[in-house]
Amino acid sequence: MRELYARLKALYPLGELTEQRKNLAFVTVPAAHLRDTLLHLRDKEGFTHLVLLTAVDWLEEGQFQLTYLLNNRALACDLGLRVLIQRDTATMESIHDLWPTAATYQRELREMFGIDFPGSPRIEEEFILEGWNSIPPYRRDFDTLKYAQEAYAERPGRVTHDPETHMRLQMYPGQHPAGK
Amino acid sequence: MSFKDVLSPFTAWKHLFHDPVSIRNPIGRAAAPRYRGFHQNDIEKCIGCGTCETICQNGAIDMVPVEGIQTKQGDSGLRPRIDYGRCCWCALCVDVCMTKSLNMSNIYTWVESDGDAFRFIPGVDKKPWDDAAHGYRRPDDHQLTGPTRLREHMPEMEPEERIGSFAEIVHGYNVEAAKLEADRCVSCGLCVATCPTHMAIPQYIKAIRDGDYDLGVALLYETNPFSSICGRVCTRKCESTCAARHEGDAIAIRWLKRHIMDQVSDEQIKKVVGQPAAPTGRKVAIVGAGPAGLTAAFDLAKKGHQVVVYEALDKPGGMTRFGIPEYRLPYDVIDRDVDVIRSVGVDIRCNVRIGQDITLERLKSDFDAVLIALGLQDGRGTRIPGSDQPMVRKAVDLLRRVTAGEDIGTPRQAVVIGGGNVAMDIARTLARLQKKQYGEVKVILTALEDLPHFLADADEIKESGEEGIIILDSRGPQQVVIENGQVTGLKTWKVKAIFDEQGRFAPTYDETDEQFHPGTMVVEAIGQMADTSLLGDALTEQLAWQRGRLQVDAGGRTSEAWLWSAGDMVRGPDVVSAVADGHRVAASIHAAITQGVQQ
Repeated sequence: MRELYARLKALYPLGELTEQRKNLAFVTVPAAHLRDTLLHLRDKEGFTHLVLLTAVDWLEEGQFQLTYLLNNRALACDLGLRVLIQRDTATMESIHDLWPTAATYQRELREMFGIDFPGSPRIEEEFILEGWNSIPPYRRDFDTLKYAQEAYAERPGRVTHDPETHMRLQMYPGQHPAGK
Repeated sequence: MSFKDVLSPFTAWKHLFHDPVSIRNPIGRAAAPRYRGFHQNDIEKCIGCGTCETICQNGAIDMVPVEGIQTKQGDSGLRPRIDYGRCCWCALCVDVCMTKSLNMSNIYTWVESDGDAFRFIPGVDKKPWDDAAHGYRRPDDHQLTGPTRLREHMPEMEPEERIGSFAEIVHGYNVEAAKLEADRCVSCGLCVATCPTHMAIPQYIKAIRDGDYDLGVALLYETNPFSSICGRVCTRKCESTCAARHEGDAIAIRWLKRHIMDQVSDEQIKKVVGQPAAPTGRKVAIVGAGPAGLTAAFDLAKKGHQVVVYEALDKPGGMTRFGIPEYRLPYDVIDRDVDVIRSVGVDIRCNVRIGQDITLERLKSDFDAVLIALGLQDGRGTRIPGSDQPMVRKAVDLLRRVTAGEDIGTPRQAVVIGGGNVAMDIARTLARLQKKQYGEVKVILTALEDLPHFLADADEIKESGEEGIIILDSRGPQQVVIENGQVTGLKTWKVKAIFDEQGRFAPTYDETDEQFHPGTMVVEAIGQMADTSLLGDALTEQLAWQRGRLQVDAGGRTSEAWLWSAGDMVRGPDVVSAVADGHRVAASIHAAITQGVQQ
């Protein structure tokens, strides 16, 4: 993996190599160099299979991190390319022409994170969320509980109790209630 | 269309008589061992803290009372009820369960036509999977609060350093450390019921997380005008019912309270506390400037009543000043809390002894109500042979004299009788005096209890040991040994049992196991009692008593309508209980003296 990294590093401006296991490593690459790096890995280094494409929402940093995980069957090892993109624009070049399966991942990312891949087939179509009416649910500023409470009706007859209040009413009713 | 296309639908027929590849009935197939299925809850272990409800992102959990489960200290009596119409099986509730009572079985199939049946209380409403061996459990190393409190950020003086002086041992948290410790709190609120004065604990801990110290002070003063003091010496019963103790250390509630008070200036505290209501023209006299008396004074003054507090000693604070040593509670901390109480108009008059300087009768005629909060200032004696010697002393007397700056005639070797906090206080005070005067510590402490049952705080026992005090447990005092008119030590027997079968105090001893502990002073620290002589014979006769204590109603009113009583003399010794009592009595007095006004 180190040798591969050295070879790639000579060609592209890569970040540090993170070796998770002997046969799994990650490296950061600028968005502008992703396509070249992927092509090189696919055609020159035997990483012929796109295992997955996924994202992480770094809300505080204002960035999305895309991870393109590639597999080299012959060497039985995986390399992940990480690309950081601006969270506010949330757009990335499509790679469906390199691996057709990428179109499906990109459609999913568009729906779950709101990341656009212009030109990717059927990118506008709903994937698994039918009739979604809120911000994309995998964005970290999506408030799951609030959405659940607003979107789904309560079954009749539900009631809950705050432990502190319940204990006051049970154990010391009428005495100066603190704080609340 | 080719011939093959026409024929192909029929080629499927060749499988007609083969065994099917699919599973006929997927229901009943066992799930993976760690599969997340229906919940299991050990309702004996569950404390009803509601953390599962708070974390649930689907709003699927309600906390509900359950018949047969009592609300008690450290257990709200509530149990989680889950609506499986909303549950998404994410197991966050299991991951944050403070007691590990809530788990998930790996049973995921259940057929039932009634939709309401899918809302039930795991562990209470019996289900087939209650005893399932497999399922999702919280991994051992996943702990929401972290197992230990931030001790490294609560620096203490080393034993060698602290024994040489009376300087405060424990330093406070800094802002960063306090935030980290506050972060361990899950805001369940189980502690509030346990606190005698029901402080808004989760709320003021949240104020620390939010960095809103003015709000913190406001919350503290809602229930406790002795927050600087309680932030250091409170018996912190709250920590004994903290949900976090099921994972490790309780939240350091006492130190967090102190932290809030440490962060805010005196002027700002007074601003937050605010000014009293418009004068009512009513007057209340309070005898005793301890926690109970001053808390009542604070409440009554804030309501606009004129309050005069009479204190026999030269400084206010009561037992917090004259009972608790300086290394645990510096005097300027007491001054600080008292100063805020004064700022709402409380008039504290020291060096006035009721019964000598002013009669109680006079207070009765000059004021609309009188409260006596005298405390427990007299030490109880063991009454063992030899205990009438002058070199057999009472701990509370010695502590008071040390605070007053008197020379108590520090012995080179001392024996303390008692295993409570007062015993520790006098032992550690004597140790410091010995170190100063003679350069070495020679204090032996003997107690009836065995070490696990000592009444003293565990920290006190540990620190006493570190300071060179020898602690001997399960030793019953038999005789103070006198030679040539001088005390030479204490003779003890091994304790077999302290209580009889009915649970009454009746110690029994193993007489064959006798020990002699050398010492030229023996200090009794086995309990305190009130000196009620100021009441005078006639009033003492007139008042109703109950087992040696003044009989009072729920509001602290005695059988005489003009007289209330509060604090240690009614409730037993404890600062925060005295504060709670002060509030109760103030409310009762306020109601009584404003009755006519409101009509």
